Order: sequence, then C-alpha cells, then structure tokens
Amino acid sequence: MTDANEHLDKLMQELRRGTITIGVLSQLSEPRYGYSLVTMLGDKGIHVEPGTLYPLLRRLEKQGLLDSKWDTNESRPRKYYLLSETGKEVFDLLVVEWKNIVQSLNHVIEEKGDEKDGND
Amino acid sequence: MEMIERYIYAVTQKLPQSQREDIAVELRGLIEDMIEERVQDKEAMEKDVEEVLMELGNPRNLAQKYRGTKKFLIGPELFDSYILVLKIVLISVAFTMAISFLIQIIIEPISILDHFIDLIVSTVTAIPMAFGWTTFGFALAERFGEINQVDLQMDKDWKPSDLAPIPDPKGRIKRGDPIAGIIFYVFFIVFFSFSTNYFGIWIFNDGYRGTIPFINEEVNNIYLLLIILILLFGVLKESLKLIYGKWTSQLVLFSAIVNFISFIAVVLLISEPGFWNPDLMNGLVQQDVLIEGSEAYEIVTTIWQETTKWMPILVAIGLVWDVIDGVIKVKRSKAK
Repeated sequence: MTDANEHLDKLMQELRRGTITIGVLSQLSEPRYGYSLVTMLGDKGIHVEPGTLYPLLRRLEKQGLLDSKWDTNESRPRKYYLLSETGKEVFDLLVVEWKNIVQSLNHVIEEKGDEKDGND
Repeated sequence: MEMIERYIYAVTQKLPQSQREDIAVELRGLIEDMIEERVQDKEAMEKDVEEVLMELGNPRNLAQKYRGTKKFLIGPELFDSYILVLKIVLISVAFTMAISFLIQIIIEPISILDHFIDLIVSTVTAIPMAFGWTTFGFALAERFGEINQVDLQMDKDWKPSDLAPIPDPKGRIKRGDPIAGIIFYVFFIVFFSFSTNYFGIWIFNDGYRGTIPFINEEVNNIYLLLIILILLFGVLKESLKLIYGKWTSQLVLFSAIVNFISFIAVVLLISEPGFWNPDLMNGLVQQDVLIEGSEAYEIVTTIWQETTKWMPILVAIGLVWDVIDGVIKVKRSKAK
C-alpha cells in the first residue's frame, strides 16, 4: 500500500505541476500579490506551496502572461501580478483545452468502469 | 529578525545579480505575511520564524526553482550513450584487471595471495575511478556541449522536409569501431595505472620467473599520468564518435586536435632517453636468454633499437590516418 502511495505522490506531483498554472491564471484577472493567492487558492481546495508559487509567478511574468507592479503604499512593499493581454487570451484557450481533457478523460475512465460492470 | 535575512541571503546569493533585489523584497514580504498569519496579533517568536522558514524549505531548492535550470547531471539526450559508454568502460576495466591478475599468477604463482589482494585493491580503486571519469566527461558534455542540438530542436517549426538525410553508409561510424576503441584505450589506461612492469619480455627459467620490462621502471610518474591523460582523451573521442554516429566536420576537427596533442605528447615521451628500459639487453643476457656477442644478440639489439626509433612514426601514422579517414568519409557522404 505504501508503495502505491509513493507512486501516487509522484504522479500527483506531475499532475499538479500543470494544473497549478491554470489555477493561478484563473485568479489573476484582478491584481493580487503572491501570498494572497496562496490563501485564496488554498481556500478553494487548491494547495500550493509558496515556494512553488512565487517562482511560478515570476516565470509566467517572464513569459509575458502576467504583468506586475510594486505597491509600496501598504505596510510592506508587495508585488502585484495581473493577467496581461496575452495572458487573458492564453487563459481562455487553456480553459477550453482543460474542459476537453476533463471530458475525454471522464469518458475514458467511465467507459472502462462500465465494461467491467458488464463483464461481472 | 536575523534568521529571515539569512534565509533571504541564502536564496538570493544563488540567483543572478539582476533579480536579487526584487526577489529579496518579495521574499521578505512573503515571510512576514506567513508569520503574521501564524501568530495573528501576538508577538512573533523565534520558533514561529523557524517554522515558517521550514515550510518554505531548503533555500537551495527555492533558489533552484527561481532559476528554473536543469536539475540533472546527464540529461535524457545523452543518457543512452552515457550508459553504453559506461558499460563498455566498466567491462573493459574489469576484463583488463582479470587479465593482469592471470598474468601475475602465471609469472609468480607463489605469491597468489598477494596478487589476489592487489586485485581487490585495484578493483576498489579502478572501478569507481572509471565510473567517476566517465560520468565527469558526460556531465561536462551536458553542461557545455551542444551535442546534436540541431536534431533536438524539433519544436513547432519542424517539418518533415527538415529531416537530415540518412548519413551515407560510407560516412557512418559503425558502432563496433568506437566500442573497440574504448576497450583498447581503457585496457591501456588500467594497464599504465597498475601494471607497467608486466609490459615486457616474460622469462621462465628454472630459478627465475619474471619480466624484463620495456619501459624504464624508474620512469617518472608524471609521464605515466600524461599517458593516462592522453588515453582519456582517446576515450572521449571514441565516445563522441559513438554519440554522433557519423563523421561530421566538427568531429573530424575534434579528432584532429586530440590526435595532434596526443602525437606531440607521445613523441616527447618516447624520444625521452629515460623512457625505455636501458637495461633490457643486459637483463636478457643475465637471464641466459641471450649470449652477449652472439648473432641472436645482435639481431635482438637491432630489433629493440629500431622498434623504439620507429615507434613514434608508427603512432603518428595511426593518428594521422584516423583524421584522414574521417575527412575522406565526410567528403564522401557530402558528395552524394
């Protein structure tokens, strides 16, 4: 069983790596800073380590999907991230793709389940 | 808080100068946010800071995520060749050691126990060394080499018409050649590392079993080191042949450079008067193999002198041929 858990951990890690990006992009139609995103996503059931999120935000910014701005008016300076024009476009396309994947996978998984039941 | 600054320093220190300050400010904000959430309105204790930093994890890993650089020594593109070369090298090392063990017990069967201990010692030293050097070479290739880079850029712009033509059979390098080459080089590396004194004429007399070595036993260890280095370059060259799988201009150029350096080094070494064993002929006479002044003695002396004289020329021919062969094959495969 522990063996299965180990495999699951690894696979889940791979699975999360891609999906976190969608989660992050989805929350950035309004400017947010890193830690507020961690808590927001956490509340919605998407657990992200700050140590993963911060570098990810920077990478997405570098790729041009996000814009950023420092806010120095608050008690401590914070870097706010926001979807860029390209980012918005990419996010919309990504959502479509994601839905397709979910649909196809559901189809595949459930079909397999049906067959099994039929054979039994 | 001293510890927070230390943590930030540990992360940013491993990042490019241009990003350091930005990331430091952001990271400080993050850590303060995390502490604040943890303690709410109370005063933050040392323990809280520690827990937050633990949650962020090893600064090295965080820095690595920021850098986003590759986290492997030898990547998937080189891995197959790496494993292949490693196998060849390790097998040849083991094989060579087995052979030299056999030679030792043939020559001196009485001290078989000593030889056995020698075998174990050399196994423990040579195998990790071979492993280490092979890995080191490939790690360097991974870091600095752009081997097959063009072939790997099959991203979005790729069209079937981009496919490189199948190399002309004449330009192709048969796998067996570099493999044989590596075995050859590794054999000599192990040989020069452990048992140069068995490289000579073997004598089996009633009272005496031993060898009269060709190479001066007093020969400086730096020479041996140089030889081993040259041979290591040879392994590198053969590995590249194995990886490329065909003769290319770069490969020819690289071979030419390696061979040229090897040639200079070999000539310098061999023409060094102290390199060959000056007592070879005396040794043969002492062991009653030859009688001084006899016809056989003269013949052997001549052979010995001529061989040592011609050796550099033979080596040169071999090395030059290797390059010419490459040039011809590149030309032929391009001519088509």
